[in-house]
Amino acid sequence: MNRREFLKQGAALGGAAALGAIGAPRQVRAQRKTGTVRVWGEPGPYAGVAVEGMNEWAKANAPGLTFTVETLSWTDVYPKLMTDLAAGRPASCISVESPIAFQLMAEGLLEPVDDVIARVGRGRLIPGAKWEYWGAWKGRQYVVPAHHQSHLLVVRTDVLKEAGITTSPETWNWNDLLNAARTIKEKTKAFGICFALGRTIATDYYLSGLLHSAGSRMFDVRNNFQVAFDSPASIETFDFVSELYPSMPPGALGYTFLDVVDSMATGQSGMVFYWGRVFGRAAEVNPKVFETMEAYQHAAHPKTGKRLNWNDFQGWLIPKANNPYIAEVKEALAYYLTHKDWPLRYVHSLVPNVSPVFQDVAQDPRLTTHPFFQTKRRTIFEYYVEALKNASNSGNELLEGINPLAGIVHGRGILAQGIQKVLIDKWSAKNAVKWVAGELEQVRREHIRLLI
Amino acid sequence: MGLPAVPAPRRGFRLSDRQVGILFMLPFAAVAAAFIVWPVAEAVRLAFHTKSPFSPALTFVGLDNFRYVLGDPTFWAALRQAVIWTVSSTLLQSVIGVGLALLLHQAVRGINVFRGLLLFPYMVPTVVIALVWRWMFNPEFGIVNASLHRLGLIRENIYWFSDPQWAMASVILLNVWKFTPFVVICVLARLQTIQVDLYDAARVDGASAWQRFRDITLPQLKTVLSVVVVFRTIWTFNKFEEIYLLTRGGPGTSTFNLAVYAFEQATANLKLGAAAATGVIMLALLFGGSALYLRLIGRQEE
Amino acid sequence: MRYQTRQRLRLAALYAALALVTVVTCFPLAWALVSSVRPNDEMLRLPPTLVPERVTAEHYVALLTGRGMYFEAAGGYRPKTSPSQHFLSWFFNSVVVSLGTTVISVGVSTLAAYSFTRFSFFGQRFISYFSLMGYMVPSIIFVFPLFLVMVPLGLTDRLPSLVLGYISITLPFCMWLMWAFFRGIPIEVEEAGLIDGASRFQVFWQIVLPLALPGIIATSIFSFIVSWNDYLIARIFMNSISQLPLTVGVMHFFEGVHVDWGLMMAAAVLMTLPLSVLFMLVQRYLIVGFGAGAVKG
Repeated sequence: MNRREFLKQGAALGGAAALGAIGAPRQVRAQRKTGTVRVWGEPGPYAGVAVEGMNEWAKANAPGLTFTVETLSWTDVYPKLMTDLAAGRPASCISVESPIAFQLMAEGLLEPVDDVIARVGRGRLIPGAKWEYWGAWKGRQYVVPAHHQSHLLVVRTDVLKEAGITTSPETWNWNDLLNAARTIKEKTKAFGICFALGRTIATDYYLSGLLHSAGSRMFDVRNNFQVAFDSPASIETFDFVSELYPSMPPGALGYTFLDVVDSMATGQSGMVFYWGRVFGRAAEVNPKVFETMEAYQHAAHPKTGKRLNWNDFQGWLIPKANNPYIAEVKEALAYYLTHKDWPLRYVHSLVPNVSPVFQDVAQDPRLTTHPFFQTKRRTIFEYYVEALKNASNSGNELLEGINPLAGIVHGRGILAQGIQKVLIDKWSAKNAVKWVAGELEQVRREHIRLLI
Repeated sequence: MGLPAVPAPRRGFRLSDRQVGILFMLPFAAVAAAFIVWPVAEAVRLAFHTKSPFSPALTFVGLDNFRYVLGDPTFWAALRQAVIWTVSSTLLQSVIGVGLALLLHQAVRGINVFRGLLLFPYMVPTVVIALVWRWMFNPEFGIVNASLHRLGLIRENIYWFSDPQWAMASVILLNVWKFTPFVVICVLARLQTIQVDLYDAARVDGASAWQRFRDITLPQLKTVLSVVVVFRTIWTFNKFEEIYLLTRGGPGTSTFNLAVYAFEQATANLKLGAAAATGVIMLALLFGGSALYLRLIGRQEE
Repeated sequence: MRYQTRQRLRLAALYAALALVTVVTCFPLAWALVSSVRPNDEMLRLPPTLVPERVTAEHYVALLTGRGMYFEAAGGYRPKTSPSQHFLSWFFNSVVVSLGTTVISVGVSTLAAYSFTRFSFFGQRFISYFSLMGYMVPSIIFVFPLFLVMVPLGLTDRLPSLVLGYISITLPFCMWLMWAFFRGIPIEVEEAGLIDGASRFQVFWQIVLPLALPGIIATSIFSFIVSWNDYLIARIFMNSISQLPLTVGVMHFFEGVHVDWGLMMAAAVLMTLPLSVLFMLVQRYLIVGFGAGAVKG
């Protein structure tokens, strides 16, 4: 490099540094890098859409780089993430549910992304959403929102009719849900209800929604993260699930996410708890079932009246160590999130699973041009808008504050193991809850350093 | 026998026998030390430390990992299940194996074709057979339930992978399918060395087929069977893939064995130290088993 | 007359029993084959039929070209950047790694076994016990310590790390087998050559090795099979999807996708195919190897 080059670079760098506060692109270093930037996402087309957007950025600004998308199946997320981090070979950009993000964030493994947020636009979030929901810790943001996704009560209206159920699920509480499930099982060929009960994170997520509606929580964020699980609300929830269980397909004890989707799409069950993906799948393989499906907010807890769901608050995170492409990933993320077509295409790739998080996207007239809006408009807005009002998450229980221990809990499948003790080993709900509380204690004790 | 022509002795550099011996032995010694002795030693060392995948730090904790593992009810459940799984598999493999060996010992035309097919299950990757098993034993669409229905043996679908007993059964069946051929081949090899006149003499004396089996065949098979049983027991006990790929140790933890337990400790609980401690316990049990085996072959050679 | 009919019945019963055993042995793979050519609409039909009405190659095509491998959504925007087809890379990885391990393990064992059987050494019995021990130690014990070594060496996620990892599971029984084979080769054969003035090397290379060839082939086949079939070590050592061998790759795509049995059975068939071919060709050697004590399981 000769002196002129050096000065030019120096000036550019200096200029870039000066502009850094308002986030101008630092193109200088990016241009010379080559290689493959690995991006991980959960199964589904949307991560691919984001990556396509990132490649558009790369073509113009870093032609030597290619972003590739890899899929992390849900059962594989924890082991794979851990071994990859341990091996010092993480993907450069990862999209995961928030509890995992929170755990990594608290461990200090993530790169802060306040600069990206600044570029994306601090005032841009849809009403009711806060940046922290995706991942902020000790004053800094570590996760860039990708979308939010809640699971709701999805029913087949024809099955409800066949079972003689005339009340709308909008009015249901837990007892109504239980009765509906039993009636469906009795009077129709379908099972009453289905959700995952295997030893997987799916089960943990489902249980969280129910537990939070009942008023239970794992850790008390306001009281030093003390374990607060051993409560009547938890016992009540476990009892509720074991009452629902006889109306569920017997295989549910081994089910994880996609099994539940197929349970609805193949017509096996009359009701499921699921995210929007189930609609896409049904439309693809069983249009007759698709036509009859509708989504509602969950049945309300009889006492608390809460209808909470689990919301993934899915976001992009950037591992800090052993990641040669941090700058490029930030650029690419900011690019695809600020070039309006890409977030819209992202949402349109799997309606209504992926809910828009930015106001301009949510209000874009082109949003409703997707074919599903013709017949499922109400359902889609249940996912996009209403669900957010009832959102909760085990990493941010009742949205009262982030606790990083949830990721660890789910990695061990503690909640899933708890409910399985009731359903498989025939423990009482009381003892199972006590067992879970004991395990949570252990998690808290072993990871106390994360909470300080 | 025509030996290849050997060139005339050359002058100059030539290694002595001893040197050649050592030279030939070195690669093995180096590789064995690096890839067998060392990892096992490291595993033992790791058992006395805690290690998280997030940091390179290794902290000495003495016997804590062992206390944790031995105090974990899941460990004991896994051990109990491992025993059930091992004993059932080995028993079935032995009984069916001996039966099959007797069958294949017949001198009929084309018997070699059948013998040839025998090792087929061994060579199928566990991943493949686990996937095929999952498909065959799928409760709704699998051929197994369908056939059982057709034969009138069941009325309702068996939920092979959601019920602890049936899950254990399906895992044992897979193990039996895959490894009975070993037993067959070993027993068959032994059968083929038993002198036919013994049977002829017994037949002349009026002994029935069962008596011939019990009094001639079985004693001759005793040593090979004991060896085979010990081997199969040791291997089955420590098997990881056959269980993990089929049921992941589920439903719940009902098909856990010690290897699956160790894997879960490492990858789900992120406790590499506890996983290593489990490994050490497995090694200890293994050495006990091998000592038994060595005593047996010692006896056999006498 | 009576005796003849009884004999004939006995023969018939025998063949029937043999046929049954063959069916049970081969059924799983045969079923996988049948399922892999069954079109999707027949796959989930109840009750399942043994023989498909229509036969299709769509699953194989999908597997090899990557079409429909990952979740495709109805309506909506389909990205051009989908996780690309990796099946062929997985296949290639498996071949490379299995060959690499086999070459090393068998090569090293052959030399060492010759040495142990021809020259008196300290610890002869020790070696045989050692091989036996190593033979039976399960890979779950090796995996994590080896992984922790690969990390600072920067070897993780690269195929050579798998070759090295597989050595720990193949070396002991390769040693055991080659030792057994070499014990079966009489020393007189070499002595003739030595007396004629050949060097040890020459005797080894030109006389002993050709005689040991059946044993080497048998051992190589076992080593190849064990390397091809491993799941655990590859699962822990490899990260990028394109670097996985077949075992982990195929299991991996089982989990993130809607269960597509046709695709999965096609993958199962393709994964077993090379080994089946190998098996057919060298069946003889397998039994020979077996006889020498290769009860690795």
